[in-house]
Amino acid sequence: MKKITGEKVTEYVLILTISAVLILIGNMINTITDKNPDTFVSVLAGLPGILILFAIAFAGTILGTVIPKVPTAIWITLIGVLVAMPYNTVTAPFVVAEVNKIGILPTCTPILAYAGVSIGKDWTEFKKIGWRGILVALFVMIGTYVGSALIAQAILAAQGII
Amino acid sequence: MPKVQKLIKNWPLHLMMLAVVVVFEGINTISIPTPIGGISLLPMLFAMVAGLVLFLIKPLKFVKEEQSHLSGDFVMIGIGFLLAKVAVNTGIQLENVLKAGPALILQELGNLGTILLALPLALLLGFGREAVGMTHSISREPNVAYIATKYGSESAEFRGVMVTYIVGTLLGTIFMGLMASVLGGIGILHPYSLAMACGVGSGSMMAASSASLAAAFPEMAEQISAYAGTSNVLSNADGVIMTVILGVPMCNWMYSKLYPVIGRGKKEKKA
Repeated sequence: MKKITGEKVTEYVLILTISAVLILIGNMINTITDKNPDTFVSVLAGLPGILILFAIAFAGTILGTVIPKVPTAIWITLIGVLVAMPYNTVTAPFVVAEVNKIGILPTCTPILAYAGVSIGKDWTEFKKIGWRGILVALFVMIGTYVGSALIAQAILAAQGII
Repeated sequence: MPKVQKLIKNWPLHLMMLAVVVVFEGINTISIPTPIGGISLLPMLFAMVAGLVLFLIKPLKFVKEEQSHLSGDFVMIGIGFLLAKVAVNTGIQLENVLKAGPALILQELGNLGTILLALPLALLLGFGREAVGMTHSISREPNVAYIATKYGSESAEFRGVMVTYIVGTLLGTIFMGLMASVLGGIGILHPYSLAMACGVGSGSMMAASSASLAAAFPEMAEQISAYAGTSNVLSNADGVIMTVILGVPMCNWMYSKLYPVIGRGKKEKKA
């Protein structure tokens, strides 16, 4: 077990709160501009959903800091699955109904906006890489992606799922 | 200055981010029709490019190195919202995920496809030992750390892994999003198979690729995100083990076979 300072906890809360505000506003706008008139989710209507996601993300981040042997991503997944799986009749109905009001796309948009500013500082390094390096790196991604998809396709087809 | 004070002091940065979100969620997804199907350009991709442009061109004076580092914290911590949302989808779809367990686990081996595809290319382009670092895996943080400890941070292998890491960081999210969109449009591979391939151990790459797929197949959106999320968690869990016992040995073996045939080793032999 690792110790965690109050300073660190405040930092997490602050970052998650700012992110939550951006997601909630983005989510509302997204439901207006998605050309589907039935899906409007106001900031108020989305509040319970974002608070649930906040709680899951916060708990997972704290656990990942205190018990770093298990990465944060796995903690978050574990908690999220436990509170939303159909066998859990206590929290799942509420969690699922509320979290469904938050789209997956709007949870990414603010984070990737920050990611854009964050990668800016690597730009000088990037410019030093020639076209050959960039080409190989893109093929690395293609290879990983297509390789995985081909194996998944073969097994899903063999199982009769697709 | 403590981080908390820094976060508060930088309110103009957060306000700028809000403006980026409002603008691009306002525009929403742009679908470009192509002969092989529509390519979805998602708000998140535009937001990322906007963030990069705002840093590089600096139309707003307050965006500097410090803000760039601070933004990195937002990526690390803020991605928790996406992971939580995907986890909830996985919970809802738990039965389907368990049923698809064999495919989800075995597709992890597909990550070695990078060696088969990219290593020969790297050798043909004239790379030496750098090629092993570049192509042994998708080269996210844990792989970089492993190569650094195995070969040292002055080695050719380390220079190579950093190339793939940096290109992946800058272009990976956008490239993975476009690739998923294009492959979904071609339609040879099922959206579920493509979804399982989205998990490569990077949250933002998984986000862009699975969201592009979900935009193309809205009726399967929940299952796509559940499969992508689970495979991403598996990649997180097995990434380094796979690199250590399979990726690097296989890459070295193929390098030793191919370097004399298609690599610079060919010319060296003649000379």
